Amino acid sequence: MPTRRDLLILAVLVALAALIPLVTGMRYIVTQATLFFIWAIVVTQWNLVLGVGGIFSLAQMALFAVGAYSTAMLGYYFELPMLLAMPIAALVTVLVSTLVGAACLRLKGPYVALLTLAVAQMLYLLITNDTACFTNPPSGCMPFFGGVRGFTRFGDLGFRELLGGKWYVAHFYVGLFLLALAVLFSLAIIRGPMGLAFQALRDNPGCAMSRGVSKFKYQLWLFALSAFFTGLAGSFYAINFAAIGPTVFSISLLLFLMSMIVVGGIGTIWGPLLGALILMLTDEAMREFGDWRDIGLGLILAGFVIFLPRGLMGLPVARLPRLSGRRRAD
Amino acid sequence: METAAGDDQMEEPLLTCRNVSKHFGALAAVNNLSVKVKAGEVLGIGGPNGAGKTTLFEAISGLNPASSGEIIFQGRDITRLPPDAVCHAGIARTYQLNAGFDSMSVRDNVRVAAYFGRRNRRIPGFRFGSDSDAQVREALELVGLADKGDELTGRLPVVDRKLLMLAGALASNPKLLLMDEPVGGLNPKEIDLVMEVTRRIVGRGITIILIEHVMRFLVQLSDRVLIMHHGEKIYEGSPQGLVHDRNVVDVYLGEGASQRLGALMQQVSA
Repeated sequence: MPTRRDLLILAVLVALAALIPLVTGMRYIVTQATLFFIWAIVVTQWNLVLGVGGIFSLAQMALFAVGAYSTAMLGYYFELPMLLAMPIAALVTVLVSTLVGAACLRLKGPYVALLTLAVAQMLYLLITNDTACFTNPPSGCMPFFGGVRGFTRFGDLGFRELLGGKWYVAHFYVGLFLLALAVLFSLAIIRGPMGLAFQALRDNPGCAMSRGVSKFKYQLWLFALSAFFTGLAGSFYAINFAAIGPTVFSISLLLFLMSMIVVGGIGTIWGPLLGALILMLTDEAMREFGDWRDIGLGLILAGFVIFLPRGLMGLPVARLPRLSGRRRAD
Repeated sequence: METAAGDDQMEEPLLTCRNVSKHFGALAAVNNLSVKVKAGEVLGIGGPNGAGKTTLFEAISGLNPASSGEIIFQGRDITRLPPDAVCHAGIARTYQLNAGFDSMSVRDNVRVAAYFGRRNRRIPGFRFGSDSDAQVREALELVGLADKGDELTGRLPVVDRKLLMLAGALASNPKLLLMDEPVGGLNPKEIDLVMEVTRRIVGRGITIILIEHVMRFLVQLSDRVLIMHHGEKIYEGSPQGLVHDRNVVDVYLGEGASQRLGALMQQVSA
C-alpha cells in the first residue's frame, strides 16, 4: 500500500508539472515535456520488471510498439475512436506480454534477456520485411503492419479540432495524467504484497519459496501487469505524433531508456523518473554536438555503472528512510 | 503389502516417509529411509554431521526433492511438490543457518509467511489487510519478539534470529513444523528459552520434527528419537533407550556423553 508520504510527493510533483504550460509559452518545451511523460511511464514500468522483479527483460520497447501499433491499426482498419482504441491496445499488450512471459520466465537471467531481445527483433523483422500490399490506398501500397513507413492518419483524440493550434497543451495533460496513474500503480506494486514477495526472493530465494512465495507466478503477474501502462504509453505515443513506424524498435532508444533507470536508481520508486528527466535534459544539451551525443550518453551510462551502480537514489543524501523504493525497517 | 496400523495401533500418520532416498551422484545422502510421524508427536532426529538429516528436511520441504521413495502428508503424495505448495499443504521449516530476509524488518519477515504461506494466492493483492497484521502479531508474541517488530532482521543477535525463523514458520499456520538445529550455537540460557518456546508450540497441537546435536534439548522435547548415520536409520525409539543402544553410543554419543545424558534423564524424570 503506498504510504501517505509517497502520495504527497506524487501530488506535489504532478502539481508542479501541471504549471509548465502556464508559465511557458514555448511549444517546444511543452511537447518535449509530453515526450518525457511517455518515456517516464515506460521506465517506471520497466523498472518494476527489471529492478523489482529481477527479470532481465529487453522486450519493453517491443511491448510499447505493440500498444502503439494496435492503436494505429484499430484506427486505420476499423476506424475505431482513439479513446476506445487506447484501452484495447493496452489489453492487447498485456496479452502479448503474458505470452512472452510464459515463454521466458522459467529461464535464468541472461537467457531471459536473449529471448526477449529475440522476440523484439522478430516483431521488427515481421513489420519491415513484409512488403506485400494488404490495401492500396491513394497514398500507395500498404502492407498489413505498415511496412517501413508505418501508419499515419489513423485518428486522434479530437483536441486538434477542439483547440486548434493549442492541441499539444491538451496532450501534455493527458500524458501527465497517464504518468500519474502509472506511478500510482508502481507504488502499489512496490509497497504492496508483490513488492514484499520480490524482496523476499532477492534476500533468500529458498526461504521465500518455503514461505509460500512462488517465483514464476509472481514474475508472470508482474510482467503482464506492467505491460498495461507500457502499452498505454505506446498507444498515446502513436496518437500524439499521429504516426508510428518501426523506429521505436531501435537499440539506441532501448539503451537510452535503460540508461534512465540506471542513472536514477534501479529498483527505486523515484529513481527512474529522476533518471528520465536528467537524461532528457542531457540529450537536449548535447543536441548541437551531432554524433558526440550518442558517445556522451554512452559515457554517462558507463560512468554510472562503474562508479554509482545504484544510481542517484543510491547516493547518501537520497537514502532517507522511505524515499527510496526498497522497504526498510524504519 | 502394508499390514497398516495393526500391531502398534498407530492411527493414520500425519507424515509418512516410505523408502526415501536422495542421491548426489554416487553418494546416497539419504538411503532408503522410512519413518512415520503421527499428529501431535515430537520426533527428534540426531546423528553425526553428514548423516543426511538436513537432506531429509530438504526432501520433505520440496527444496531438493527425493530421488526415490514417497513422502505422504495427510494422505496426499507431496514427494514432487515445489516448496511453495509444500508450505501451503501445511509444512513449515526453519533452517540451520540464519535464513531470513535480511533487508526487511522483523515484522515484514513474518508478514511474508502470514500473507503468502497460508494459502495459494492465485491473484496477487495490492494490500495486506488487517487479518495478516493480527497473524504477524500473534506469531511474534508466541516466540517473544513482539517488541522487536521494527528492528532490521540483518542486525538481530543469533538467538533472536532463531526465534524469528520460528515465528516466520508459525505464521504460515503449519500442521507440521520442521526445526533444523533450533539451538545450534546458542548458550545454555538461550537454549532454555528456545526450549520453552518449543513447548509452547507443542502446546498448540503442532507436530514437530526437530534435528539437534544438543542432546539435552533433543531428549527432553522428543517423544521419540531417530538416529541417522550415513543416510540410514540406526535407531528409532524412546529417548531413554538411546543411551543403552550400543550402536548409537559407538557411532554418535561416545561413552562419556552417553553416561552424562543417562544421568540427566534420570534427574529430569525424578
